Amino acid sequence: MTDLLPQNIHDALAAKAIEHLHPREMIIEVLRAIQDHRGWVPDEGVELAGQILGLTPLQIEEIATFYDKIYRQPVGKRVIHVCDSIACWSRGAENLYLYLQETLGISPGETTQDGTFTLLPTCCLGLCGEAPAMMIGLKAYGRLTRERIDEILATERAEAGA
Amino acid sequence: MPILTIDNQQIEVLKGTNVLEAAKGLGIVIPHFCYHEALGAVGACRLCAMNFVEGPVKGIQMACMIEAKDEMVITTTDQASQEMRARVIEWLMMYHPHDCPVCDEGGECQLQDMTIAGGHDIRRYGGKKRTYSNQDLGPFICHEMNRCIQCYRCVRTYQDYCGGTDFGVLGTNQRVYFGRFRDGRLESPFSGNIVDACPTGVFTDRTFRYRTRYWDIEEAPSVCPHCSLGCAVIPGGRFRELQRVRGGVNKQTNGFFICDRARFGGGYGNHPERPRVPRVDGAQTTWPEALRALRKRITDLVARHGPGAVAFLGSPRASLEANYLLDSWAASLGSRRIAFDSHWQHDRSARVAAGKLGPRAASLEDIRCSDFILMIGVDPLNEAPMLALAVRQAVRRGVRLAVIDPRPVTLPCAAAHLPLAPEALPDVLEALAGGDIRRLGRREAVLLEGILEQLRAAERPVLIGGPDLLGAAGIERLLDTARLLASEHRPCKVMTVLAGPNSFGCGVLARQGPDFEAILNGMLAGEIKALVCLESDPMTGSSDPARTGMALGKLELLAALDYLPTAAAHHAHLFLPTTAVPESAGVYVNNEGRMLLFSSAMDPGTPISVSGGGDHPPRTFLPATPGSEPRPAWATLGHLQGRRLSLRDIRQAIEMEHPNFAGLSSLTTGGEGKRIADISPPPETAPEIPFPHSEGEGTLRLYAMEDFAGSGELAGYASALAPLRPTPFVMLGALDAKQRSLSDGQQVRLRSELGGVGVALRVVPDLPAGIALVPRLRGTALESYVPGRGHYDCQILSEDEEKT
Amino acid sequence: MKQHEQVLFKNRSPGETAFLETYRKSGGYQGLEKALTKMSPEQVREEVKKSGLRGRGGAGFATGMKWSFFPADKPGEKYLVCNGDEMEPGTYKDREILMADPHQLVEGMIISAYALQIPVGVIFIRYAYEQCSRNLERAIAEAMEAGLLGKNILKSDFSFELHLHRSAGRYICGEETALLNSLEGVRANPRSKPPFPAQKGIFGKPTNVNNVETFANVQHIIAHGSAWFKNLAFTESGSGTKLYCLSGHLERPECFELPIGISLGAVIEEYGGGVWRGRRFKAALPGGASTPYLTAEHLGVGLDFDPIEKAGSRLGTGAVTVFDETTCMVAATLNLNRFFARESCGWCTPCRDGLPFINWLLEKIENGQGEMGDIDMLREQIRNINGRTFCALAMGAMGPMQSLVDLFEEEIIDHIKKRCCPLKT
Ligand SMILES: Cc1cc2nc3c(=O)[nH]c(=O)nc-3n(C[C@H](O)[C@H](O)[C@H](O)COP(=O)(O)O)c2cc1C
Ligand code: SF4
Ligand code: SF4
Ligand code: SF4
Ligand code: FES
Ligand code: FES
Repeated sequence: MTDLLPQNIHDALAAKAIEHLHPREMIIEVLRAIQDHRGWVPDEGVELAGQILGLTPLQIEEIATFYDKIYRQPVGKRVIHVCDSIACWSRGAENLYLYLQETLGISPGETTQDGTFTLLPTCCLGLCGEAPAMMIGLKAYGRLTRERIDEILATERAEAGA
Repeated sequence: MPILTIDNQQIEVLKGTNVLEAAKGLGIVIPHFCYHEALGAVGACRLCAMNFVEGPVKGIQMACMIEAKDEMVITTTDQASQEMRARVIEWLMMYHPHDCPVCDEGGECQLQDMTIAGGHDIRRYGGKKRTYSNQDLGPFICHEMNRCIQCYRCVRTYQDYCGGTDFGVLGTNQRVYFGRFRDGRLESPFSGNIVDACPTGVFTDRTFRYRTRYWDIEEAPSVCPHCSLGCAVIPGGRFRELQRVRGGVNKQTNGFFICDRARFGGGYGNHPERPRVPRVDGAQTTWPEALRALRKRITDLVARHGPGAVAFLGSPRASLEANYLLDSWAASLGSRRIAFDSHWQHDRSARVAAGKLGPRAASLEDIRCSDFILMIGVDPLNEAPMLALAVRQAVRRGVRLAVIDPRPVTLPCAAAHLPLAPEALPDVLEALAGGDIRRLGRREAVLLEGILEQLRAAERPVLIGGPDLLGAAGIERLLDTARLLASEHRPCKVMTVLAGPNSFGCGVLARQGPDFEAILNGMLAGEIKALVCLESDPMTGSSDPARTGMALGKLELLAALDYLPTAAAHHAHLFLPTTAVPESAGVYVNNEGRMLLFSSAMDPGTPISVSGGGDHPPRTFLPATPGSEPRPAWATLGHLQGRRLSLRDIRQAIEMEHPNFAGLSSLTTGGEGKRIADISPPPETAPEIPFPHSEGEGTLRLYAMEDFAGSGELAGYASALAPLRPTPFVMLGALDAKQRSLSDGQQVRLRSELGGVGVALRVVPDLPAGIALVPRLRGTALESYVPGRGHYDCQILSEDEEKT
Repeated sequence: MKQHEQVLFKNRSPGETAFLETYRKSGGYQGLEKALTKMSPEQVREEVKKSGLRGRGGAGFATGMKWSFFPADKPGEKYLVCNGDEMEPGTYKDREILMADPHQLVEGMIISAYALQIPVGVIFIRYAYEQCSRNLERAIAEAMEAGLLGKNILKSDFSFELHLHRSAGRYICGEETALLNSLEGVRANPRSKPPFPAQKGIFGKPTNVNNVETFANVQHIIAHGSAWFKNLAFTESGSGTKLYCLSGHLERPECFELPIGISLGAVIEEYGGGVWRGRRFKAALPGGASTPYLTAEHLGVGLDFDPIEKAGSRLGTGAVTVFDETTCMVAATLNLNRFFARESCGWCTPCRDGLPFINWLLEKIENGQGEMGDIDMLREQIRNINGRTFCALAMGAMGPMQSLVDLFEEEIIDHIKKRCCPLKT
């Protein structure tokens, strides 16, 4: 279990769930905690969330698969969400998206060989004023250019310890 | 009551009716998918578009979502609403496979019908198709997700209506998926309903896969024989075998859905060992020969020993008509020795219910509409599964449910459970009926006070009880309680679960007659020389199989009429094959006292799959259908009395003799049935019947309980149900287990008067102390533990202890 | 660039977030004090009603009116919900508020809770706004510490607890009834209305939902009065300021707080620095991805609810996305439609399957494989999706789509005739 959730967080969530009138409300909270720790939510993570909240794995899965920011498949250490919505599109997001694919050598939805980056499209990030924009993990990056992307990838790669 | 106009026709409907239903009332059927009478309107498919020309809402609207109101003027034939419906169908068909010919739903597919009705023929969409992969959902249900049109009916059936938690909706947008977390059998005992609910071929009955097209199957409205509730079912046969059962509609009983025992438990009639030919002294013979032999032997016995030497045993799974003719045959011979259920408590309970329930009888619909439910000594999921669903519908509306029962009564809904030992139930009933509450423990007394308070406050409370733990005495007490709690302004209804589909009818016929106990004594004493069993097997049916076996051994003549390969049929000197329920017509009276007609879906015969040895068509040509000897029991019984009677004649005779059954001969198939009239005075109080349980001492008291798929006589012969039968186990409370140093899951030895058997231990935390429970499981060592017999003294030892 | 009175952006300074100290210095929590000490809940509601504040979440429903339907006087469980899902492309005003001055939301919610007599509140924040969530966490903690939130606020009898809920993506969660489902931990499909959240919201209890910007305005109204608030507007019918988020082909695509009703042209030229690269203006989405396009002839239209509606579009969230003369409107609309198709919750057919159908049609046209009949097919699709779905998501998608065929039919025909996108270089 420790590779899904640190014991202290597990215990805190479990204690909160017992107190909770509607533990269901905590599904996203628990899934996000697992994802924070593990990087994604494997099947065992869904089952663990079910155990903590007194729900069946299916009941968790119904919610987990609704949201695009809960990863139910393995991802790299850093998930790159490239905005493909209108403001970014109008400022060249499509080309940057292709550039990212080229640079990383992967298609959307894939993870780089070294397991560092996963590339996913996302809808508007609320960075339209800084379009084109992307988000790596929970960190926002705007005013993207090819050069800036190279820099960002280098920094993120270094931070990810790859 | 609002009056509205649809397509220039006026209709008045009940307040709250939606416009789609209102149109249906005029015979205007507009294509729709997501709306389902039992599941309600959710406005998901957007197919039921109509044009609202006048009234409070205007324009194209979804008819299912709009309540009918006065002054509405609606059209369904205008261009705009037709265009909308055509578009919706087109959207639904964008990705749909074009392979109806190989689809198991073809021919009875709502999508096919609606596509035609919606006017969509050629696919214009030329983009990529979405595809899904399927899951293995177990032995009962096939999954073909590419056929899904996202109407959400399956999940609304499975989760919302039936309370299942292992199947649901995954994903979003055009990729929503209906399935499980992982491959595996659907866990709900009502899982099969998604086959009926799904309008397309996503969910099909795996046991019926690739067997028959809809237009080739022979179907007829029938009644489920697996318990006493009388749910409407539609069995379907082809090639002389029952191939499937689907749910029928009866709003007073099951509503729209059925349980998996009914759906997948129809195979008893196809059983490979089913006796299909008349037999005399072990040798097969012709009908005339067998009938002559039976008549002669009985006449001889009566001549030699008087009419009292011949006894009769009717059956809760035989039709009212057959039971009645058995009764009249006995009477014509001058014998008063007839009982209708070899299980003594079940027999007595049915008589109490039949005699005293009266207008207080609750239907399943009453339960769904109730506002407080107390269940005592009843385990719906195992004893009468659809009762559990009826209760759930009330609980979904926020109704409170209290359960008093020692068993771990699992339900598909929340309940307050008070686990009391069976011996405490009489005191509880006493207290409920206004007796002394202090006889109970303090904690119990407080809880019971609370229940009583809610019972008094409710406007439509229902009490529910069953015979296995309450016995006839308890049932009677429950009825008294209801009477006391009811007032002129406030009814208090009762449902008594009974043993079989026609227990109530048998209860009416039995009246003051003897019970099987008396007959058994007569047989043991040698006074009774012959027993005629109508579709009943006292060897396994009575509460004391061993003693019954001994008594049967003393008979000069055991005659059996049946369609099951029972022990009695096997040992009978004279055997006459009868038709199984889907092969015959008749009436069952369900536990509410509702007369329900079942009709014949198919003719009897050895399945071609058997007679053809896998080859089809068979290569030998015979003038008669192989295995077609079985005849309806009523026809045979009429014949034996030298009377040529039609069902109609019999029903009229029944009405004459028993005015309660008024209306019997005007029943129609597929209807709601009719409750019997409560006109004959209830029998003077039955002989003081003891409760089925007495205080035991020292050792553990073991009670047998019903199991969903393992206990029923018919279920036992339905091979498809095998995956649902548990391996033998015994349940013990946490404290008792601890005292014996036993733990959950461990293999233990169960010892009682019936011998010793190895079973798995299940520790149930709140099982009352001193109590152990086993399911009756036919075909296993737990077969001889009979529910409703009272307790068996037992010991539970670890396997090692046993050895030392 | 003319400076207008800054209300919501009073404390905004680049790269910084104002917390309690700064906020109080600028007059923060005076509205709350006034409400709790000098006004009855009813008076607060009345003041908000008089202010003419209209919801800033997209639908523009009058806040005072919405509040008047709420059973404020009914005792028992009730909820106040802040909609911070902000996922409509082009929209980032709530983010700006929460990055600059998060206490405004906290105070606005406390006053609103007092007005509606609600004991519990939840702020629903989208996944991508992690920094906003952290700012709010801090603001909530500070307010608790200062006795401005929690039990007996400012020693009154009024108590209010405020929670934060971090979501995990999906635009549909911004639809208020889907948001309630999301909070309950069931799938975030919208619910049918009626019953409205004010009658049956979270767990069937009365619930009031407002947008971040809506709440943020409340304490300013209370502190300075409804007349002052009405006066902030440019237009007679409008009231307050509006956060206009500029994006697209502009020199300066930023978020500005301006008097509501300022003209589209003024916003683009004066604040947005004009169309970029010296190009000409072609079209704009005046209020986010779900509003119909406006073209050059509409540059004089005031960006307020009623005037925009007269011009055939909607103020929506006040997010102005501008397109220059080189933009292919078919491609732009396809981008928008792809967004809506992907974010469809999957509940109802016209949205779930109809939007992908349109994607196919537009892709075909954009790729030069369109046929003349496709335009009719497109119109027929729009006609049968618009207003026919379970919730407003697909209706939003049909906003720009309808204006594409109405305003840019020639451009579509050009695609079909030339068998390629005429604007692609
Ligand atoms: C598809 C869809 C998405 C929406 N997204 C948001 C949103 O992100 N934030 C928001 O405040 N309102 C959103 N709304 C509007 C809300 O349903 C609701 O009207 C609003 O939160 C009410 O707040 P207001 O009256 O303060 O504007 C959305 C509506 C729809 C139909
Ligand atoms: S589900 Fe119906 S329409 Fe679809 S392939 Fe099967 S029979 Fe044909
Ligand atoms: S599987 Fe069947 S019932 Fe379920 S949504 Fe699809 S078509 Fe409807
Ligand atoms: S329009 Fe229908 S499918 Fe689309 S988001 Fe709303 S409810 Fe879901
Ligand atoms: S459109 Fe890309 S961040 Fe808004
Ligand atoms: S039947 Fe009315 S919307 Fe589906």
